[in-house]
Amino acid sequence: MATTVLIVDDHPSFRSVARMLLEAEGYEVVGEAPDGEQALELARQLSPDVVLLDLNMPGIDGFEVARRLPAGPAIVLVSSRDARDIGPLDANVMGFIAKGELSGASLRSVLSA
Amino acid sequence: MSSLRARLWLLGVAGVALACTDLVLTVTSDHGQLRGLNGSLGALTGVAFVGTGSFAWSRRPANRVGALMVATGFAWLGAGLAQANSPLLFSIGLVVGPLYLVLVTHLVLAFPDGQVTSRLARRLLIAGYADVLVVYEAWVLLDGHIRGEGSLPANVLAIVHAPGVAGVFDVASSAAGAVIIAIIVGILVRGRRRATPVVRHAAAPVLWTGLVCLTAVALSLAIGSASVSDIAHGITGSIAMLAFLALPFAFLVGILRSRYARAGAVSELVGALSSRAALRDTLADALGDPSLRLVYWAGRWVDREGRDVELPDSGVTEVERDGACIGAILHDPQLDDEPELVSAVAAAAALALENERLEAELRARVAELQDSRAKLIEVSMAERRSLERDLHDGAQQRLVALSLQVGLARRKLHSDPLGAEQLLDRAGDELRLALEELRELARGIHPAILTDRGLPAALQTLIDRAPLEVELLNAPDGRLPAPVEAAAYFVVAESLTNVAKYAQARHASVSVLRRNGHAVVEVRDDGVGGADPEVGTGLRGLADRLTIIDGRLDVLSPPGAGTIIRAQIPCA
Repeated sequence: MATTVLIVDDHPSFRSVARMLLEAEGYEVVGEAPDGEQALELARQLSPDVVLLDLNMPGIDGFEVARRLPAGPAIVLVSSRDARDIGPLDANVMGFIAKGELSGASLRSVLSA
Repeated sequence: MSSLRARLWLLGVAGVALACTDLVLTVTSDHGQLRGLNGSLGALTGVAFVGTGSFAWSRRPANRVGALMVATGFAWLGAGLAQANSPLLFSIGLVVGPLYLVLVTHLVLAFPDGQVTSRLARRLLIAGYADVLVVYEAWVLLDGHIRGEGSLPANVLAIVHAPGVAGVFDVASSAAGAVIIAIIVGILVRGRRRATPVVRHAAAPVLWTGLVCLTAVALSLAIGSASVSDIAHGITGSIAMLAFLALPFAFLVGILRSRYARAGAVSELVGALSSRAALRDTLADALGDPSLRLVYWAGRWVDREGRDVELPDSGVTEVERDGACIGAILHDPQLDDEPELVSAVAAAAALALENERLEAELRARVAELQDSRAKLIEVSMAERRSLERDLHDGAQQRLVALSLQVGLARRKLHSDPLGAEQLLDRAGDELRLALEELRELARGIHPAILTDRGLPAALQTLIDRAPLEVELLNAPDGRLPAPVEAAAYFVVAESLTNVAKYAQARHASVSVLRRNGHAVVEVRDDGVGGADPEVGTGLRGLADRLTIIDGRLDVLSPPGAGTIIRAQIPCA
């Protein structure tokens, strides 16, 4: 069974290309959310295996969404900044991928860490 | 001759006439002792009070001291009528009697500025006047045959002869007078201790003489009302009389001291200024006022450190040099009564004050520059943050998406050429949008058209892009300095952005004019008004940027009446 993914990002162009990329790699994208509030709602409804979560969003940012998400999905943070610019990750976050390096392989690497 | 001087001359003539009358009445009196001596001293005292009082009144018309001295003199001379053999004149003298005592008490209390500031002292003074004008007069009205030295004429103003009752009023009046004056002496002693050095110096001769006089009067009244000892009553009465006689001369001594002190102060000041001693200390010594402060005019009032100062309502003497105000001396308000002294000191110190003013102006300017520098750093950091945010949210996101699309297209090249082609088309779109956002960002940092073609052309591009009708009313001929053109451009850019976002306007206008060494930029709209520069960061940031180049931003935006944004930017 394919790993289900919820993509959370306020830029539609990124959501669109991330969906194409992940589906081409065998993932099933079950939902997209443009902000933290909708992300929390969809995560409760859809119970995805993975939440791909942008850090910089209007309203509540990715760190805060990660704290509020129910236990269950693996949380992977993404950003157009790189790891040097975001600081330490909370314990409930699986890992971080810079948006420019997003691929099926990089996601599998983080999920298996 | 002014009307005041004419009136004072008349008073002087009247005083001399009354003094001569007193002298004649006393010398020819058939009651009283040492008539020649008493008559001469009495007349001299009256003339001294009237003359000195008239001089003081002409010198300081607004100060009540002069009028009080004149009144005391006439009351004294009026009391002298009691030496007359005529019952009527004797009775009039009797009625006037102790009025001079309460007037001299009033004079000593009010010295040197003519005001009785203590509420207790004012109440005691009122009680004193009531004692003389009511209690004492009751005695006069009730005793038709006054007992005294020799055979006194009858008191023709008595309504009824009731010596028993009259005696009660007599004792009561004396006792009350003694108590009132004794308390007033205490007030004077306490007030002298609390007075500033300027007041103590100016008032010393009169206050000391007045204290001796009033103390002796209080004792004499107390001894007299208690009928303790005729000798003691006589001695204290004589001391009181001598001190009373000395008062006008004490006043003249005070004036002479002040004049010599003034001449000495100015000559010492000139010497001290050449010795590079601290100016403030030198002026304080010259005026005898340790509380003295100096403030300087640098477009506003500042102290030596360049800090803003608010001037008090009194005790301020401005200093001018070559017709322009350069500073002010803040001194004890009592020195307002010595304007010639303070002005002479100020004139002697004007050059040194001008140097200090320049220093203070420099310090004030340095403080302004430090403020400006802090603002510059703040504005610069805010602009950097804004730039980072715009790059991150705009072009950076597009380039990330572009990078992923190209990567995906590459993977699909052989397996799905059509899908790869579609991805590459989308990548091309993302690239165009990213380029446009970067161009817009560059314009926001500094528009190339401003450098290449000048302000009018740059303003026209802003107007062409505005989503409403905008008219360019005025634009300067020729180029302005580059920072001024940039500031004017951004004022118009920010203002038109706000008009488009918030004003709900149908029409706007832009004007840039050179006026009095400034570029005056104005953006008007006919929208809803109510703009508040404190609410949004755009106008506030603009105001800060203008402050750095000594410009200012004004926002006139009454609700419902449109908005005028006006910037004034110095351009030499």
